[in-house]
Formats: sequence, structure tokens, C-alpha cells
Amino acid sequence: MSETYLPHGFQYSSARHQAESAISGMWLFLATEVLFFGALVLTWIYSRHWNQAGFDAGARQTNLTIGTINTVILLASSFIYSAGVAFIEAGNARRLVQCCAAAWLLGVVFLILKFGVEWRDDFAKHLFPGAAFAIQGPLGGGARIFFEFYFLGTALHGLHMVGGLVLVGWIIWRTRHAEFSSTFYTPVIVVGLYWSFVDIVWIVLYPLIYLVGRGP
Amino acid sequence: MTLRFRRLWLTLALLLLLLAIEFGTSFFPLDRAARPLLLIPAVLMVGAVGTMFMEVGRGPEIVRLFAVAGLLWLTILLGLGSLDPMTRTDYYVQGASVK
Amino acid sequence: MSATAIEAPAFEPSYLKDGWTLRSWLLTTDHKRIALLYLGTITIFFFVGGIAAALIRLNLIVPEGLIPSEETYNRLFTMHGVVMVWFFLIPAVPTTLGNFIVPLMLGARDLAFPKLNLASWYLFVIAGIVVLYALFAGGVDTGWTFYTPLSTAYSKGHVVAAIAGVFIAGFSSIATGLNFIVSIHRLRAPGMTWYRLPVFLWSLYATSVILVLATPVLAMTLLLLSFERIFHIGVFDPALGGDPLLFQHLFWFYSHPAVYIMILPGFGVISEIIPAFSSKRLFGYKFVVWCSIAIAVISFLVWGHHMFVAGTSLYSALVFSILSYMVAVPSAIKVFNWIGTMHKGFIRFDAPMLYALGFIGLFTVGGLTGLFVAALAADVHLTQTYFIVAHFHYVMVGGMVSAFFAGLHYWWPKITGRMYPEMWGRAGAFIIFIGFNFTFFPQFILGYLGMPRRYHSYPPEFEVLNVLSSAGATILAVGYLLPLGYLTWSLFHGERASANPWGATGLEWKTPSPPPTDNFDETPVVNEPPYNYPPPELVERHV
Repeated sequence: MSETYLPHGFQYSSARHQAESAISGMWLFLATEVLFFGALVLTWIYSRHWNQAGFDAGARQTNLTIGTINTVILLASSFIYSAGVAFIEAGNARRLVQCCAAAWLLGVVFLILKFGVEWRDDFAKHLFPGAAFAIQGPLGGGARIFFEFYFLGTALHGLHMVGGLVLVGWIIWRTRHAEFSSTFYTPVIVVGLYWSFVDIVWIVLYPLIYLVGRGP
Repeated sequence: MTLRFRRLWLTLALLLLLLAIEFGTSFFPLDRAARPLLLIPAVLMVGAVGTMFMEVGRGPEIVRLFAVAGLLWLTILLGLGSLDPMTRTDYYVQGASVK
Repeated sequence: MSATAIEAPAFEPSYLKDGWTLRSWLLTTDHKRIALLYLGTITIFFFVGGIAAALIRLNLIVPEGLIPSEETYNRLFTMHGVVMVWFFLIPAVPTTLGNFIVPLMLGARDLAFPKLNLASWYLFVIAGIVVLYALFAGGVDTGWTFYTPLSTAYSKGHVVAAIAGVFIAGFSSIATGLNFIVSIHRLRAPGMTWYRLPVFLWSLYATSVILVLATPVLAMTLLLLSFERIFHIGVFDPALGGDPLLFQHLFWFYSHPAVYIMILPGFGVISEIIPAFSSKRLFGYKFVVWCSIAIAVISFLVWGHHMFVAGTSLYSALVFSILSYMVAVPSAIKVFNWIGTMHKGFIRFDAPMLYALGFIGLFTVGGLTGLFVAALAADVHLTQTYFIVAHFHYVMVGGMVSAFFAGLHYWWPKITGRMYPEMWGRAGAFIIFIGFNFTFFPQFILGYLGMPRRYHSYPPEFEVLNVLSSAGATILAVGYLLPLGYLTWSLFHGERASANPWGATGLEWKTPSPPPTDNFDETPVVNEPPYNYPPPELVERHV
């Protein structure tokens, strides 16, 4: 008598099962990132609480123009990538590539403005909290701590952006090799989640850096 | 599908509007301690990105569980973590000499 | 000769025989092989940390300190703490027993993300190399807690290197936790509803929640600490307007839940062993399940109890003290559940059960003493004394290490396909129990009498208790070396194990010992509650 065994090979029961698991995994990873940047926000809370005057004195030295332009750039980038996801859901791989490329370029512009222009300016104005810090006197301590938060926060965000650019570039490469269609585009979604999250981090950092400490 | 694109455009418009509000109100003379209220538009922006771009409402249920968990734990970190500095009564006096 | 040919059944090779090259081990994505890679690695770290402990106890046999240099002593207890916490206790059960058993218990073929699993091992190894470099190239003298300003301004040790190693290990932890959570949600066999999950899986789920949510905070804390040490910015420096307590809040926000990362898997192991060796259903399954989740959640709310004398506000100290009393309740409930399971059960005293019984006793002592120090007034006197050292060694070593050994012996036949020699196993359990109590009970008394911790020397009136403690440590060392010997012996000469040598319930026992690479021939279907032992009244016992 012969019996047919259902082979129990692969750990997922269907493609959809696997896709949903991958998406869930990315959301969980993003939850860990919330806690990672959350610790930095707690540092902001403590530092501003103990040194409001000095902290805000440092904040007033930030470049509001570039900061705001960069925020618009990232919002647009996240929007365009999401549009790309909507396109591939409808089966339009060509539009997906265009949207990803646009999102990617916007990301590069952000990094150039942030590190090529803004940081360079900050260093020129001696705002790096090293030896020759620009703000001395009683407000100096708080200002130094503000700039530690500023440089560490933007550096970490920038590193995450670089990672995101690599991932978006990978999506573009895979799309051009015809790997995605309206039936399979899970990696596009997963990378999109990460990319939008990096945008969210900036949305929180922007007021903490540029807006709260400013003003009359 | 056009609905989806319309939603995306509207979300972008909302985000830019919230950014404008945030930017604009930062010029108002708010009391220093109250300035963190400027974060309210930012929180709304996070919500918009999370629901409309990241589509937290779509996908398996655990996606929402993970998102809520992240936010809940962030609240614990920031809330319970701030309890100490907000209620401390001994302050280090800036500029005092260390004996 | 019969006309019908007899077909020999085709057996799949076990996972151990499925590939003999180094590549097939170092590039494996099989969760079982990764578990063994981890087992080898953490064993090495256990001995590194153990040697540091031996040298610490050696130093303390004379009041003036046998090791001439205080700096060396500081580096020894730092090495002991860093290695034992991050490179033994936190990974031990999740990465070895967890990696091996979780897919089997789920009825799955592997974890959700097998390549991520392999990556986590490589991260762990890299982290270990970095930390070992830091510790052996001159060491760190700050203690495993890296408090400022010693770590940022005054320490001459390799602080940044040590921190870098721990930082990398954190990513390994997060990867493991993420893998377990997604696997437990998504890869359960048909019929395996949440309330049919074995408690080991619930415990690892709770552990993984802590792993993924607490570890990122440690990552940021270590970055801030490195920044502070390298650039002297001032975020932790009061002279520049910073707050040294910010470091402590951030550090303990991770490190208190971390101790629950260490113990929750132990609770899971014990919850598997007690029913198996009492041949009885786990008493109050849902209580045990929800207590595990409660511990995971409440553990995040109590970190301030490490800072009662640090200068936090009295109001916040009160809140943390009350919350700390609350976190003890779910753990205590579990102890009653285990005892209730044994009641009227048919108890067999094999080695895993002896370790489990030792765990219950030792963990209870450790847990109760935690309540003493959760009281603000008592903690003022007991903090930073040997009372604390004894408290956490009772829960971590008496508790967690015993649970690890219990699980190792329990699942040894499944993992290796061999039985260990039972008499040696029982002897080891006894020696560890006796050696442990001799080592650490005197430390409760020492702490109560006022002997501070992390001191290279001590007043002469404490000599007798210290000598007793060090003597106990030699017995404990023998107890830990024994399994290394007989378990290795069993790999070559141990009796071959059947699929279910203990007669236990659970999907992992329904596949051969050791399992084939794919775990199951066909996907198992679950239609029974967990721990489905027949009620004791209905079983005939042959006395």
C-alpha cells in the first residue's frame, strides 16, 4: 500500500504567508528603532530641562532654512516612494523604477544639503562641541550639550538614510531585472516601510533641533 | 487605484500644511517651557505617514500590535524616565565651585 | 521467496550527518546547527567569566587581598560581569536551547528568518572578539555598569573597545528576539492555538519582547557614553550642565529588563521539566502564561530601584519601589504553579528534575531577598554591599544557570541523539547545589554586616565568611566542570536515545533524536492541550 506524504520542506505554507511575515518582521524592527531614537529624545528632554537657556542658545545657531528645505525633501521622497508601491501593485514596473529613482535622488540631495552644506557651515562657525567651541560663558555648557545632540542625532539619521539609499538602490536594480510584478513585490513594501520610517525620525528631529529652542 | 493616488496626494498636502503650521507657530512668543507643544504638529505628521504611506492599517494584525507596542514603550521610556528630573528638589548650581 | 518486495523505508539523515564540511557548518541556515555553534561559543565565554570569578574568590581569601594590584581586581570583576551578563546569561537559553527547540515545538521547519539567525551568530562572535580584546589588552576597571564619571573621565582602561563589543552583541540579541517573535506568531503548526503553546515558547516570546524593546536603548546609551568619553561634551557631566543620572536611567532602562531576559527562559525550561518529570499537567497553565507576559511588561517599569541612593527624587524612588514589589508577584505565582504541578504527581529524580528542584529553591531565596532590597529604607543599608551580590547570584546563578543545565540535560538526547550518564548527571546537580550555597549564602551575611562590593580588600572580621565563600567556589567549580566532562563523553559513548526518552509531551519529542534537517516528515497537526498527561488517579503505578 502506498501513501502519499505531503512534503514538509519550506517553513512557510504559502507565498502570502511568507510575504506577510516579512512585512511583520520589518514593522517589529522599526519598533526597535523607535526605542533607539527614543533614548536620544530622553537625552534631549533631560538636557533641555537642566540647561534651558544654554540649550536654546545653541538651538538658535542652527540653520533653519536648510533644515526646513530638507524636511520638505524627505516628505516628498517618502510620498514618491509610496506612489511607486502603488504603481507596482497595479503592475506598472516602469513607473516603480521612476518613483524609486526620484525618491533616491531626493535622498541624495538631502544628504548633500545636510552634510555637504549645513555641517560644513556648522564646523566653520565652530559649533562642533570640541575644543574651540563658539559659545563660551554661562550658556556654553548647555549649548555644547545641544550640539552633541544635534551632531549625534543627525549623524545617526544620516547613517540610516545611507542604509535606506542602498536598499532603494537594490529595489531599483531588482525591478530593472524584472523581478517584481503585481503578484510579487514584497521587498518593495518592506523597503518602503524602512524609508518612510527614516522620514518619521526626521519629522521628530526637525522641531527638536530647529524649532523648539528658537523664538523670542 | 486612483483612490490610492488621490489619498497619497492628499497626505502629502496635509504633511506640508502641518509643516507650515509648525514652522509658522514657532515664531509666536511662546513661554520657553511651553515650546515643546510645537511637537504636536510633528506627532500628527508621524501619524499621517504611518497610516497613509506605511499603511499600518493594511497587512496582518500583528503589524498594528508591533506599532502600538513601539509607541507604548516609547511612552514608558519618556514618561517614567522624565519623572525623576521633573520632581527632583536638589539642583546642581551652575558655576558653583566644587569643594 | 515472496513475490511482494519489502521496501526499506527511506530515513533522512539527522541534521548532524547532513553535510560534513566546515562550510556546511559555518554557512548553515539550519537552526539546529546554529544552536550548536552558539553552544560552543557561550561555553567558551562561560569559562572565561568563570576563571575571572575564580580569581576574584582567590583574591578574597585574605583580608588584604591576595592579588597585589587593586586595579587588576577591578578589571577582574569587570571582566566577570561583562562576559557573564552579555556573553553568557543573556544568550544562553535563547540562542542554544531556544534556537534548537523553538521550531521543533512549533512544528515548523525552521525559524522565520534563517539567514538572520546565522548573521546573529556572526555578530555575536565578532562582539566577543572585540570584548575579549578589550579585556585582555589591559582591561576595563569600571564594573559592567560603566558608571560615569569613572567611565568617561577617569578610567584608563579600554572602555570604548569594551562598549563597542557590547554594542555589537546587542544587535545579535535584537535579531534573535525578532526572529522568535515573528516565528511564534507566524509558524505555528495547524491546530496549535495560542493556548496550546508550551510554556517554553510563551517564555521565549516574553523574553523576545524585552530583547527587542530594551536593547536599542542600551545601544544609544553606549553611543552617548562613547561620545562623552571621546569628546568630553558634557551630557553626563554636571560641571558642564549635564546629568550623571541620565546615564544611569538610560543604562538601567535596559539593564533591569535584561535580568528578566536572563531569567524568563529559565522559567520556561522549568515549566517544561516539572510536568515531564511529574508526569502531570502543568498546574494553572494560563496563570503561568499571563505571568510571563506580565513580567515582561512590568520589568520595564522598575529600573529606578538600582538608583535609590544615586540622587533621584524621593517621589520617583517611591514609585519605583512600589512597582518593584508588583513585579515580584508574577514570579511568585509561578513557583506555586510548579509546586502545584508536582503535588500528587509521579516524580522521577533524573538530573533535569534535580536541577529544576534546585532552581525552585535557589530562585525563591534570591527572589525574596529582592523584595528586601526593593524597600527603600532597607536598600539604603544593603545597596552596594555583598547582600546585593548574593541576591543576584542566587537568581542568576542558582536560578538561571541551574535552569540552563536542567534544559541542557533534558534536551540533550534530542540534540545529540545520546543519553548522558545519569549518575554523573545527578552527582553534578548535587555538587552544584551544595557548592553554590556555600559560596553565596555567606555573602548575604557579609552584606548585612556591611562588607561593600567591588572592594579588593576588606576588614579582618569578615575573613571567615570570605574563606567559606571561596571554599564553596571551588566545589562549585567542580560542579560546573563535571558536565563538560561527562557530556562530551556521552557524545561518543553515550547510549543512543529514542525519539522520546522521557515520555514527555510536546512536538519536539515526536521527531527522531537527533532530528533530520527538515525536522518533520509531514507537518504535524495539533489537537490536544499542552502537557496532556493523564490525570494521576487514572494511571497504574508500579511501585
